[in-house]
Amino acid sequence: MSVGPADAVGRPQQPPGPPRTRGVIALVEESCTVCMLCVRECPDWCIEIDSHVETTPATEPRARDRSTNVLDRFAIDFSLCMYCGICIEVCPFDALHWSPESEYAGTALADLTHERDRLASWEATVPAPSPLDPRGVPDPATARRPGTRA
Amino acid sequence: MNVVVEGVRLALGPSLLRADEGFGPVTLDVDADRWVDALTAASAAGASFFDFLTAYDLGGEGFAVVVHVSTPDAHDHVLLRTTVPRAAAVLATATGVFRGAGWHERETHEMFGIEFAGNDRLDPLLLPAGFQGTPLRKDFILASRAARAWPGEKDPADSGGRPRRRVLPPGVPADWPVATATAPAEPAGAVEAAEAAAPSDDRAGP
Repeated sequence: MSVGPADAVGRPQQPPGPPRTRGVIALVEESCTVCMLCVRECPDWCIEIDSHVETTPATEPRARDRSTNVLDRFAIDFSLCMYCGICIEVCPFDALHWSPESEYAGTALADLTHERDRLASWEATVPAPSPLDPRGVPDPATARRPGTRA
Repeated sequence: MNVVVEGVRLALGPSLLRADEGFGPVTLDVDADRWVDALTAASAAGASFFDFLTAYDLGGEGFAVVVHVSTPDAHDHVLLRTTVPRAAAVLATATGVFRGAGWHERETHEMFGIEFAGNDRLDPLLLPAGFQGTPLRKDFILASRAARAWPGEKDPADSGGRPRRRVLPPGVPADWPVATATAPAEPAGAVEAAEAAAPSDDRAGP
């Protein structure tokens, strides 16, 4: 999605695509719990995740140690990706999003493997979610809870 | 009223096995023996635009060969379909009716191993020279699935230790060779050796 003036080789200015445009996949690292669902559902095997488990010792007597999955590597190979969006659909914690950004061509195949920092950098280009259907389920932030007064 | 369907129906009679209206263009199933007659009738009924010829693997029964034709003015679309057995996958060529079918028959020949009797120019079209095997048959083992370990096999809980339980990649048949992270599996069957040697040859392409 280019919004600048015509470039040096004379390509015209491109109008921005619709918000649903499938340009690139953005990662919100903080939301990823390393559940591996995206990796296992990917039909192209283009997502790779490395991780390890860290254990926090119990702070109170008779409490259990807590173990947390820690992400070491998150990479999407866009030379294999077919932009089906299954990883985004399947993510239970909304860690993956479509970004309309599409200008990330490279001169080598390896440039199309985006590691976690590059995937995270696309987050700034993710459009805001479309507004809720006014006749749909009420916005949970303003909805009245059952058993409370309006 | 689809003039092409009526034209093929009149010409073939009982050799037109089935006409499936479905949701899209009408699909006419014809006897393999009357394949050229059906194409000729469709062409004579006005379907002079040949879109494509392709095939798909039916499994044990054999292969379905499909041709899509349409009339250039009224845009009456028709799919003509026939089946050939796996043991003797031979069909009469469509190039006598639609000359442009030559390229499609070359591609179908190299991808499925279907012979087109009467077409003596079935040279490879897309695959590299010397490629062994018919990649779009369902029994063709994909080298990239055998050569590379499934990334979904990893689990955070396995870091440093043995895997707790085995998770298998969805959609990959159980009898295919499986590569692990340490040792690539020996690819079985008709797989080009050079392709199997590449670590991640999904990328291989023109």
